[in-house]
Amino acid sequence: MSMSLNRGEKERHTARPVGTLLALVSHTARMQFRSVIIWGAALGLYSAAMVASFTAIEGSAAQLNQLMEAYPKGMLEAFGVTDLGDPANYLHSQVFGLAPLALSFFPILALAGAIAGAEERGTIDVLLGNPLPRWQLVAGNFVAVAISLLEICAVVGLLTWGTAVLMDVELSVREVADAVLNLWPICIVFGALALFCSALFHRRSLAIAIPAFLLFGMYLMDTIGRASEDLEDWRPYSVFKYYGSAIENGIDWTHFGSITLAALVLTLLAALVFRRRDIYT
Amino acid sequence: MSLAIETEKLTKAYGRKARGIEDVDLAVEEGEVFGFLGPNGAGKTTTVRTLLGFLRPTGGRGEVFGLDIRRESVEIRARVGNLPGEFALEDKMTGEGLLKYFARLRGVRDLGYAHELSERLGAELHRPMRRLSRGNKQKVGLVQAMFHRPPLLMLDEPTGGLDPLVQEEFLDIIEEVKAEGRTVFFSSHNLAEVERVCDRVGIIRGGRLAAVETTETLVDKSFRHVVLTFAEDVDKEPFEALSGLRDLRGEGKRISFTLYDDLDEMVKLAAGHTLVNMEFERPSLEEVFLTYYERENGDGR
Repeated sequence: MSMSLNRGEKERHTARPVGTLLALVSHTARMQFRSVIIWGAALGLYSAAMVASFTAIEGSAAQLNQLMEAYPKGMLEAFGVTDLGDPANYLHSQVFGLAPLALSFFPILALAGAIAGAEERGTIDVLLGNPLPRWQLVAGNFVAVAISLLEICAVVGLLTWGTAVLMDVELSVREVADAVLNLWPICIVFGALALFCSALFHRRSLAIAIPAFLLFGMYLMDTIGRASEDLEDWRPYSVFKYYGSAIENGIDWTHFGSITLAALVLTLLAALVFRRRDIYT
Repeated sequence: MSLAIETEKLTKAYGRKARGIEDVDLAVEEGEVFGFLGPNGAGKTTTVRTLLGFLRPTGGRGEVFGLDIRRESVEIRARVGNLPGEFALEDKMTGEGLLKYFARLRGVRDLGYAHELSERLGAELHRPMRRLSRGNKQKVGLVQAMFHRPPLLMLDEPTGGLDPLVQEEFLDIIEEVKAEGRTVFFSSHNLAEVERVCDRVGIIRGGRLAAVETTETLVDKSFRHVVLTFAEDVDKEPFEALSGLRDLRGEGKRISFTLYDDLDEMVKLAAGHTLVNMEFERPSLEEVFLTYYERENGDGR
C-alpha cells in the first residue's frame, strides 16, 4: 500500500534556493508596481511643480535673495538655502532636502509588512509553506523594495528633468540623476531598519514607529545642528549629515556606500534574528 | 515500512500563558491517512507548525521523511503541501496568480493538475482574494496545498467553510491521494469525514497525545450502546452492578445501557433470562472523541 519516495520524486521535491529567491524578488517587485507609480507620480509631480515654480521666481531671484538675507543665517543653513537664483539650490531646498522624509515611508511601510505585517495578516504560513528559506524572505523583500525604490527615484527624476526641459530651466540630466539617486541609500536604510524591527518584533506598528521616529529625530538633529553651533556635535549621529546636496555637489560616493552598507548590515541582522524566532499568526 | 512523520517527546512551550504541546510521540507511516483530532487549543496547529519549522521546539525531536525539523525545514517543506488552519492571502492576489507564483517557488512547470483540482472543487481562480467568500478561499487553499502532488499533505481543518458537495469531492481526492501512496496528515473537527478516510487517528488533549489507534480499533475499543429484549419482564437491578455500565434504562422486557467494559459478564447475566434480541450499536467517532474529553474534565467514567 505505502511506498517510499523514489529518486525521481525526491528530486522533484527538492528545495531550489536560487529559483525561490528570484521568484520571490520578481513577485514582490511586481506586487509593488502600483505603489511605485503612485509614489513616483506624487513625488515627481511635486518636484515638477517646483521646477515650474522656479521659472516664476527666476526673474526676481536677486530680490528674493536680498529678502532671505533678513532671515537668520543659521536658519537658511538649516534648510540649505544659499542662492534661490540657482535652480539646483532652489530644488534642493524645496524638494530634495525634504524628500527623504516622505519617500522613506515607502520602504518603511513595505518592509515592516514583510514579516510582522505578514504575521498579522496571517499570510506568512502560506508563503513559508513553500520551500523558501527564512533568510530569503528577508533578503528577497529587501532586494525587491530596493528595486522598487530605484524605480520611484527614476520616475521622480524623469518628471523633474522633463519639466526642466519643457520649462527651459537650466538643469542637467546629471544633476537630476545625482539628486534622485542620492535619495536611494538614505531611504533604504530606514526601510532596512523597519525590516530589522519587523524581524525582531511581531508587531507591524512597532516596525513602522521606530524607524519613523528615528527618521524625524535624525532630520531634526541635523537641521538644528546646522543652525546651532552648540548642537553641531550631534550631527554625526544623524544619517542626514551624510546626505548632503547631490544636485549641487554631486554624489559623495563614500557616504553613499557607507549608508548602503549600514542598510545591508541591518538586513543581515534581520535575517539572523528572524532565523531564530518563532513565527506567530 | 518507512515513516513520513516521526516525533519523540516533541515539546513546544509558549511560556506560562499559553499551552503548547508536551512529549508528543507520533509515528505516521508513509501512505496512510492520519487524522489528528482535538478541540481548539488542544495543540493540533502547534504540532503542525512545529513540524514545518514555523515554531522552534523547546524539547524532543521530530523528523519528516527522515529530515530533522530543526535543521532541514526547507527540505521538509519541499515535500509537503500545507493548508494552514487560518488560510489567508494577500487581498489583491487572485488564485491563478498565487498558483503561478507558488509553481515558480516549487519549480512546477505544468499547472494542469492545479486546474483539474480547481475545476473539481469549483475554486474561483480569477477573482481577487478580497472578493472571495470563506469557502471559496478555502478551495484555493486546498488547491495550492495539493497542486504540486507533494508526498505529504498537511491539512489543518481542510473542509471548514466548504459546502457538503465540495466536502464530498475533497474526500474523493484524499482517497485518490492515498491510492497513489502519498501520505495525508489532517486535523479536523468533522469526525464523520475523519472516520471515512482516515486509517488511524490521534487524539490530542491538553497538548498531550491521548491516544493513537486505527479508526476502527478506537471505535471498537471504546464502548457499545446495548439494547436487550427479553421474552418476559426483567429486573434491571442486577445489570446496575455490572462494571463499566452507564445510562441504564429499563422498562418491561426491554433494557438499554452503554457498556464500557467487557461484554462477557453482561452476556452471562443476560443469558439467565430468555433473550429475544440483542442489539449492539457502535458509537460514532464523535462520541468516542467526546468521551476522551469528558474524562479530562472529570465528569466521565
